[in-house]
Amino acid sequence: MALSPPTLAAIRFGYGLRPGEDVSGDADALLAQIDKGVSEKPRFPREGLTGRVETATRIQAVLAAEAKARQAGKPNEDIRKEVQREAQRIYRQDAMARIAQALHSPAGFYERLASFWVDHFSTSVLKTLPMRAIVPLYEAQAIRPNLGGPFSKLLQAAILHPAMLIYLDQNQSVAPDSIAARRSGRGLNENLGRELLELHTLGAGSGYTQDDVRAAALVLTGLAVDNRALEVVYRPRLAEAGPISLLGRTYQDDEGDGQDHILMLEDLAANPKTAQHVSRKLVRHFIADDPPDEVIQTMVDAWTKSQGNLSDVYRAMLQHPRAWSDPGQKIKRPFEFVVSGFRALDLPEKSFATLISDMDNEDESPIGKAMEMAGGAAARENARRRAGRANAITLGALQRMGEPIWRPPSPAGFADEARVWLAPGQLSERIAWSRLIARIFGQKMEPSEFLEAALGDAARPETRQIISQAPSKVHGITMVLASPEFNRR
Amino acid sequence: MTFPESILLSRRGFLAGACCAAAAPVLTPVTFAAMPGDNRFVTIILRGAMDGLDLVQPYADPAYAALRPKLGLTPDTGLLDLDGFFGLNPAASALMPLWQAGELCFVHAVSTPYRNQRSHFDGQDMLETGGNDKSERTGWLNRTLAVIPRSASRKAIDINTSMELILTGPNEADSWSSQSNFALAEDEIAFLDRLYAGDETFAKAMQEAKMTDVAADSLYGDARRGAGIADMARLAGGMLREEYRIANFSINGWDTHVGQRTQFKKAVGDLSTAFTTLKEALGDENWKKTVVLAMTEFGRTARENGTNGTDHGTGGLAIVAGGAISGGKVLGQWPGLADDKLLEQRDLMPTGDVREVAAAILYRQFGIKPGNLTAKVFPGLTFDESSVYLKG
Repeated sequence: MALSPPTLAAIRFGYGLRPGEDVSGDADALLAQIDKGVSEKPRFPREGLTGRVETATRIQAVLAAEAKARQAGKPNEDIRKEVQREAQRIYRQDAMARIAQALHSPAGFYERLASFWVDHFSTSVLKTLPMRAIVPLYEAQAIRPNLGGPFSKLLQAAILHPAMLIYLDQNQSVAPDSIAARRSGRGLNENLGRELLELHTLGAGSGYTQDDVRAAALVLTGLAVDNRALEVVYRPRLAEAGPISLLGRTYQDDEGDGQDHILMLEDLAANPKTAQHVSRKLVRHFIADDPPDEVIQTMVDAWTKSQGNLSDVYRAMLQHPRAWSDPGQKIKRPFEFVVSGFRALDLPEKSFATLISDMDNEDESPIGKAMEMAGGAAARENARRRAGRANAITLGALQRMGEPIWRPPSPAGFADEARVWLAPGQLSERIAWSRLIARIFGQKMEPSEFLEAALGDAARPETRQIISQAPSKVHGITMVLASPEFNRR
Repeated sequence: MTFPESILLSRRGFLAGACCAAAAPVLTPVTFAAMPGDNRFVTIILRGAMDGLDLVQPYADPAYAALRPKLGLTPDTGLLDLDGFFGLNPAASALMPLWQAGELCFVHAVSTPYRNQRSHFDGQDMLETGGNDKSERTGWLNRTLAVIPRSASRKAIDINTSMELILTGPNEADSWSSQSNFALAEDEIAFLDRLYAGDETFAKAMQEAKMTDVAADSLYGDARRGAGIADMARLAGGMLREEYRIANFSINGWDTHVGQRTQFKKAVGDLSTAFTTLKEALGDENWKKTVVLAMTEFGRTARENGTNGTDHGTGGLAIVAGGAISGGKVLGQWPGLADDKLLEQRDLMPTGDVREVAAAILYRQFGIKPGNLTAKVFPGLTFDESSVYLKG
């Protein structure tokens, strides 16, 4: 099967075809999306970066005060519950905004890259209550602005963000010889040091040892999160002074200025194993689970030549003929599947915004309360039902399919192999989702027209025939979305 | 084999039970003391083309057995005799109490004006828009709302996640879901099997999905699907007990190209559940004021095909039930199944317009003027007080 470059560009490197959206099938056009994406403000955090920092610090402060009161024997359950509700609402609204971002953005390749890197540098909203608000900030602050430049810069932005330090327990880690360790009895936590080597840079099995893990963790000591400002700070009394040797380099915090970890991150970014690991992962994500080595090699060459400039690495991938051949070997991940489904339906901004407000109306927001007072039980029941439906086709669906937003199962992120996303249970979830949105949005659509919009020249002749014979429009639309060619990329 | 006289002799051919030559009414005149605005009407759309010849089998028609060697039954092989000529598919045995109580009748050989294309989509569009051609864009049940004299009777609801075409239009109507969205009908699963046939990995995943309990639950568990239909019917009944007077929902699963006996049995089980649950949910008093009309986009081929199923046809069957009817009859003008009586030598010849059945019900239940019914609800339909469906 050969696909036209524009179709392949949309489904392999973007979030699928959308009626009326112009897709160019060449590397330059895709790379141009990165500049555009970087320059635009994402739809989350909903109150903007500064506003979110304020929200998150307030939540932290309220929780800290409540914890103090609790210790003093005066717990305030109401406050705790209120904060929980707020954090949950913030997460839900931002997660919906993340779907909207991918759904409405014409810069599909940039959006896919954002998802790739957020997954590569995984953090989770489930770690703590404030993380519900911090992880969306992390993606907007650390990942999105930096994914087109030097890997070194992206690495630093990701690792040195409060979200990462909280998620991988760096804010708990204390150098064994430090003043703080002697006072508090706390010690070294290797979590971030290990994942930094294994997941973020060199890659598992690339030859580093347990001593290297410990060394990396020691270099990272001193890093902590200032909860009042939601900033990463360096606290010398938590830090290991050194010298610490790691992979042939020696790090020593002579000046006590906490710059040794920056040097370590730069060295790790420049390590050839990192270029190998990251390039391979990119190709595996975008093109095939078992990519030809030659594609990886051209990317590694570009990496070396450009000192890890990611746009050059993407360009090398996109200019390789293999980027434009043998489609359909990967299975869309659930997030891609859901977003591309909405895009194929050409879901307008307004319709998706309605889903978001349906979900807002259910909780005890002013609107929800007003509705309740105005309409009584029936209105509340109606609001509950609409909220349930909105959730079922968005966040609930992603959870059922196994890819809840900002909630990876481990620091390694979500699985990426095709076979994982084509398990029997996965397929029935996708059929169920397809059917649900076909019933909600597709009642008046012509299945054959929808097929053209959703699949373009990716449609197999047998699919065209079967869709034209479907027993109802709804089942016709359902089958387009559930078809192999809509789920493959 | 003798023919019932009435079939051979009926001119307008209004068949009112095989034994009886007089035309009989579908609907009794409004003799009961209904409160103004108290009557109810439910439409059920049977999507996928319901095989009327299988549900209500003309077992005494001399051509039937040869056309349906595998699917056709007789009272000796389990068919539930209705009137000496037609028999009910035993899968619908749950409907027999309604039949015996005179609360159920069938109208055979009816169709919409849709001809010769046999596309589900276009056929359902025409069934729901109620027009003579494809130009109509709004649903007939929605347009009905504007011409119901009593404003209290104009509250309508679609039991679905969003409005179906039949209730779509300028007049206000609600839609409400029973959340039973995941149940797939047998024919829909068969289509998915075909969709995946050329992709080995998907085909394997689909087969496994069907085998596993989890998937059986979400894909095609009988109990769960049945519960889904019961939920919809219960919700419709509950709404009609309150201020709603008109409700609509759909039952899928009728596109029985392959292995019809098994598939049809399940769909008929859903249909039976829908009727019995509606009656139960409405309660005796409301059921007496209710008429339910189940209809499909077209019928299926008179002949079985080579895969133990049937293909898209033309003449179909409408089902009317409710406490407000004088049922227990198979109605309609029976065209016969001899080769030269079939449409294009393949389909049951439509001899009646399903829209006329609907018009008669609307006339009786809501007092809508025939002129409004023919001008606004069913453009192109011929209907007045002399309609055969109103005799008696």
